[in-house]
Amino acid sequence: MNLSELIMARRSIRKCNALPVEQELVIELLRDAARLQPALDAGAWRVVYAGTPESSKQLVDYMLAQITQSKLGKLIPGKLLDVMKRRFTEIPAHVIVLSAQGTDRLTSDRNFAAVCGMMQSFQLLGWERGLGMIWDTESIIQNESFFKGIGIREDERFVGILHLGYFDKAPRGRKRTPAERKWTIWEGSTI
Amino acid sequence: MKLSDLAEGLNKPIHFEERPVSKELMLELLNIAVWAPNDGLREPWRFIYVDGQNSGILNRLQEPAPAYLLIVMQAEHDSHKQEEDFAAVSCLIQNFRLLAHERSLGVRWTLNEWTYDRKHAEAFMLQDDERIAAVLEVGHIAVHADVTSEKALQEPQLRFELL
Ligand SMILES: Cc1cc2nc3c(=O)[nH]c(=O)nc-3n(C[C@H](O)[C@H](O)[C@H](O)COP(=O)(O)O)c2cc1C
Repeated sequence: MNLSELIMARRSIRKCNALPVEQELVIELLRDAARLQPALDAGAWRVVYAGTPESSKQLVDYMLAQITQSKLGKLIPGKLLDVMKRRFTEIPAHVIVLSAQGTDRLTSDRNFAAVCGMMQSFQLLGWERGLGMIWDTESIIQNESFFKGIGIREDERFVGILHLGYFDKAPRGRKRTPAERKWTIWEGSTI
Repeated sequence: MKLSDLAEGLNKPIHFEERPVSKELMLELLNIAVWAPNDGLREPWRFIYVDGQNSGILNRLQEPAPAYLLIVMQAEHDSHKQEEDFAAVSCLIQNFRLLAHERSLGVRWTLNEWTYDRKHAEAFMLQDDERIAAVLEVGHIAVHADVTSEKALQEPQLRFELL
């Protein structure tokens, strides 16, 4: 598969199979992704990894903390909660990515953007090996108990969780708007 | 060819040839780059092409380049959505960078203080709810025999911790 095909073939994978994911492979792919991002300093990002059944369960508890603790959550039947939990605990590996805010907005934005670029490469590198991922930024998980649980530091920005695993079937792609329709040529200042 | 094979080339400093970059080529690459993941399929991006010969204020705000691509994003009111969109746009830029490199086009991905200035944004006729997510400096890569990259050979440092 060439690069263009790879970029177009990658899909977000929301349903993976039970094959285990090796931690060594995740580290190797993160290193490869970082290598494709020379502007990204080691100090600009950090990964917290959950790759065992115990840590996955722990993570899912943090993710659902807001729901279970809220008044509304108390009304959710235990069975439904179990289904929600199982959906995530059945995913073999979770890569939580954080970027460093630095001392000003510009540094924070530069780090964030570079880290996202790295994560896109990581998704593509994973796809080459048959690994599927879904980038999760659901607002419902983003609350104090979650951030405390994953150990985010004061100067860090939450970029997302990549839930990853091998999969049996990739979903069909959803069409993109042609770039021509989002393209303008600046003709210079008219004033 | 594996994606990781591009790393060495991407670690070299980018010098441009003077010749212009074809808009058709840029659009061809962008049409592949738009296959970036993006939440809710909002496709929160648009592109402004600026010729390096007629670059207006970019002339003093950016390094010289044969062409510039302003990547403009829709700035949703919801700050959570804005983060997601900034992330999606960054994925698109990464795709574009990798694709460009494969075609011997160099892309310097920049974000500078001036992009936060509304006055400058207006010079490019941005809407109130739009912001510049990046300015890409684009050109054909000039071959420099003298540059050997040390960085590419280094193992990148990873801060990897277990939950
Ligand atoms: C920053 C970011 C955050 C995302 N967050 C979520 C999410 O919280 N839940 C989800 O189902 N998908 C999420 N996605 C994935 C998008 O829904 C997905 O990319 C889009 O539907 C296009 O599908 P594709 O990735 O298969 O091309 C996210 C993607 C990005 C880039």
